[in-house]
Order: sequence, then C-alpha cells, then structure tokens
Amino acid sequence: MTQAATNTAISVRNVSHSFGEADEARHVKALLDTSLDVTRGELLCLIGPSGCGKSTLLNVMGGLIAPTTGTVMVGDKPVHGPMPNDIAFIFQENALFPWSTIHENMILGMSFQGVPKAERADRAQRALEAVGLDEFAGHYPSQLSGGMRQRAALARALSLETNILLMDEPFGALDEQTRMVLGEDLSVLLSRSKKTIVFVTHSLGEAVFLADRVAVFSARPGTIKEIITVDEPHPRKSAFMTSARFHQQRDQLYDLLHDEIRKSMAQSGKPKRAYEDQSSRAGPAA
Amino acid sequence: MKRYLLRHPGVARLGVILLMLIGWEIAARWFIDPMFISPPSRVLMALGSVFATPNVPAALRLTFFELAVAFALAVIIGVVLGLAVGLSKFGNKTFMPIVLLLYGIPQITILPIFILYFGIGPAAKIAFGVTHGMFPIIMAVVAGVQNIKPILLTSARSMGASNWQILRHVVYPNMIPSLFSGMRLGMTGVLLGVLLAELYVSTGGIGYFTSMFTQNFDPTKLLGLVGILAAMAIALNELVRRGETHFARWRD
Ligand SMILES: Nc1ncnc2c1ncn2[C@@H]1O[C@H](COP(=O)(O)OP(=O)(O)O)[C@@H](O)[C@H]1O
Ligand SMILES: [Mg+2]
Repeated sequence: MTQAATNTAISVRNVSHSFGEADEARHVKALLDTSLDVTRGELLCLIGPSGCGKSTLLNVMGGLIAPTTGTVMVGDKPVHGPMPNDIAFIFQENALFPWSTIHENMILGMSFQGVPKAERADRAQRALEAVGLDEFAGHYPSQLSGGMRQRAALARALSLETNILLMDEPFGALDEQTRMVLGEDLSVLLSRSKKTIVFVTHSLGEAVFLADRVAVFSARPGTIKEIITVDEPHPRKSAFMTSARFHQQRDQLYDLLHDEIRKSMAQSGKPKRAYEDQSSRAGPAA
Repeated sequence: MKRYLLRHPGVARLGVILLMLIGWEIAARWFIDPMFISPPSRVLMALGSVFATPNVPAALRLTFFELAVAFALAVIIGVVLGLAVGLSKFGNKTFMPIVLLLYGIPQITILPIFILYFGIGPAAKIAFGVTHGMFPIIMAVVAGVQNIKPILLTSARSMGASNWQILRHVVYPNMIPSLFSGMRLGMTGVLLGVLLAELYVSTGGIGYFTSMFTQNFDPTKLLGLVGILAAMAIALNELVRRGETHFARWRD
C-alpha cells in the first residue's frame, strides 16, 4: 500500500446516488460521480447550495445510505453499512432520545456500539467534561437549550471513541453567537483528539474557521467542484476570524459558491406559468 | 372571594358537588315518588345493606374480575396487533382500513352474537369488554410507533443498534406515552363493554342484582350499587391516568 493510501481515512470513489427508481416521478439524482479522499486527522468541510447532496455524501460515507454506484472505503474496509466502531455521527436535528437523560443517552449509545458495561459510566463522564456539560448529566434533552443539546450530542459521539466524526450541519439550527463559541470549542477539541472530521455546513465563515480543507459542491446533481486549503493550525483563536487571510479565503469561497447557488435556485424556482394562470383566472371573474 | 376560588379550584369543585347532592336530597325527600329515587343520605346509609345482600360481594368480585381480565387481554391484544400493523408498511396498508372499519361499528349491535357464542357467563362479558377496549389501544400503538422521529432511528442505527435494540430502546419508549393514552381510552371501553354485557344478561354478576333491585322497586339499593360501580370505574380510570402522566413526563 502506498503512503498516500495509509494516510487516507475515508476514500470515496466515483460515487453516484439517486433517490427513487428511475421511472418514478420523485426520482432525484442527488450525487454525480463524486470522488474524494479524507486525510487522517483533518477537518474537511463540505459546503454547497442547499439540496446539492452534501448530506447524501456524508450518509454514504458513514454507511447509512448505500450508493447507487461507486465505493467507499474506511481505512482498508469497504463500507456496506454503519460502522459504529470507526464512525460516529452528529446530525443537525436533535437526535438525543427525549425519554432518556443525557447520561442515559450516552450509556445507551455505548451499549449499541458494544462498549463493555463497566467502562460506560467513566467514558460518559469524561466526554461530558470535555464538552462542559458534566453538571447536566441528569437533565432531559428538553430541559437544555439548543446549543447544549448539540454539545450533548457531541459528547455522545465522543464517548464512542471513534477515529472519525461525521457532522451534518451540527450547529445549523443555532444562533450565530452560539455557533461561533461552539466552533471555537470544536477546534480546541479537535487539536487534542486528532480525530478525522467531515463537517457539513452552509456557513462560509464556519467553513473557513474550522476546516483544514473545504470541498465546494456544484449544484445538484452534486459533485465536488473544487477543494481549497485553509493553512492555519488548530486550535484556532477568534483573532483568526478577524484576520485579513480569513476574509480573503471566505471571499474566495463565496466566489466559488455564488454561481452554484444561482443555478440551484433556478432549479427549484417555480415555473413562470403560475403567473399566467392567475391572471387568466382573474379575467373572467371580474 | 372570586380570587380565592380561582386560586383554589378544588374548593369550588367540591362546592358544586355538594350543591348537586343537596338538590338531589331535597328533590328526593319532598318532590319525587320514593318508588323511583332515594335521597343520597339514605343511599349512603344503605351501602351496608347492599353489601349484606347475599351474593352481592361475590357479584362485585366477579365484575371486577371480568374488568381486570378484559382489560389485560385488551392491552395484550391491542399491543400485539398495534405493533403488527404499525411496524410494517404492508401491515399498515392492509389492516389499518379494516381496523378503522371495525372500530366504527357500534358493537352493541353484535352483543347478542357474543352471548350466543360465549354463553351468559363471564366469558361473554370479558369478550365484549375486550372488543371495546382493544381498538383504542391498537390505534394508540400504531400512532406511537409511527410518530417516531426518523432521525432517532437513523442515529440509533449509526451507533450500531440491532433491530431488537431499536425495538426495545427506541420504538418501545417512543410508544409509551401514546400507549398510556390508548390504555385510558381502552379502560373506558372495557368498562362500557363489560357493564353493557352485564346489564344485558347476567346470572351472577352485578347485572343480575341491578335488574333484581329494579324489578323490586328498590331505588336505594339500586343507586347504592350503581354508585359502587361508578366508584370502581373512577378508581380504575384514575389508576391508568396516573400511569399516563407518570410515563409522559419526558414529553417536550
Ligand atoms: N430520502 C430521500 N428521498 C428522496 N429524495 C431525497 C431524499 N433525501 C434527499 N433527497 C433529495 O436529494 C437531494 C440532495 O439532498 P441532501 O443530500 O439532503 O442535500 P443537502 O444536504 O446538500 O442540502 C435533494 O434534492 C433532496 O431533496
Ligand atoms: Mg443536508
């Protein structure tokens, strides 16, 4: 095996994915012939217009969706389904079990993954401390704010001690201040843990602030248009966010994305005929 | 005064009940033929003699037994059928319309058939109670299985949960609050079914004594017995309602 291959945490080869059968009305080509190598220990951001297939690619990487064509390898293992020992997910939506406390959520996750009983409580405690939620172990998810819930979800994922984290707009539903703070925390956590992270976001600032590399998607059917590198060591400070380099890279991203977003909006725009219908209907009635 | 009552709704409620009892007492003592109604004071005093009537305690026990067995069977059948219908697309598409159709039939129309098949003993009452109680439970279980957030299933699967673990740790707890509301409705249904069947024809249960007291124009004992039945129903409903609020505590 070559040096490059051993340094690759996830390799995606010529993956295409369509939802629904080809003859169905709701057939959607979500991903088109996408290839990508995620390097061990990096944080790779996926950014692109909404609906371009970012979540689809992330779910394919994690074995939650079997792609229509193409292959995914995690290390030297081909992906055919969830790989709980290698990959942990964090979703945009609150995915904590509402009937369990934060602590119980973590214990349950570990029992799904197969962590020996004796280790679970210890690991839960450590992960909660890492995200600063140890005082809230006994709370139910509904008793926490949105930001705390996502931190709890992060803790649950950390307690699984996987090498790879796949995060699908984890801070997408939060307000900007909260997501900035969580972004800084994540950067600190990252630099300590050496995990490989793939992070979907629609925020240019978040992408530049967090990522070692940013993969920019084209409009649907999505494929990776370009990858830019952000050369700034972790943990990143808030000073980075106000630096000239940060702004320059964000502008570069914006330029790359701009056309794709226009294209994507044209795809989902209403047909012009809707207006004509209305005016013709208004005629006879008046 | 008004503010005090607003802050203590229990006091006002108690007052309304007392007023109703007093009205009943007055009406029964001075205005209505004692052949048809007895004042609450006398009914209360007669409770002892109701219990002392030979075989009444046994009849109460029998009715309670019928209720308990019917409820247990309704829950078991309701959960099993509800899971079968709710967990598979096929089961849902095929059986849900049938369930809705059957649920819509006023079952009193088929009570004679139950008597024909199950006889005039407890079996018919239990069966009639079960068919009344199980439908709301089926509906509740189906709803509880289907209203699960897909992200919870996805997330469990991503952490390596087996099908059994998903059923036990995700589907089941998600269903619990819904199941308990279904059980509360099911309890109302079981009471209706069992008591209807009892009153329709009975040899040893409560129904026998209600018709006997009616035929003897003994409203005091009749009202006493009905009161005991009502108390039984309220107690059973309250029990399930407590369970419901307890298990629904995580609902956000
Ligand atoms: N389960 C599904 N069934 C049908 N279409 C889907 C499904 N999931 C996603 N899609 C469609 O696939 C496309 C890509 O979706 P997604 O990967 O979620 O986009 P993104 O995460 O980039 O916003 C969208 O047009 C979406 O409507
Ligand atoms: Mg998405």
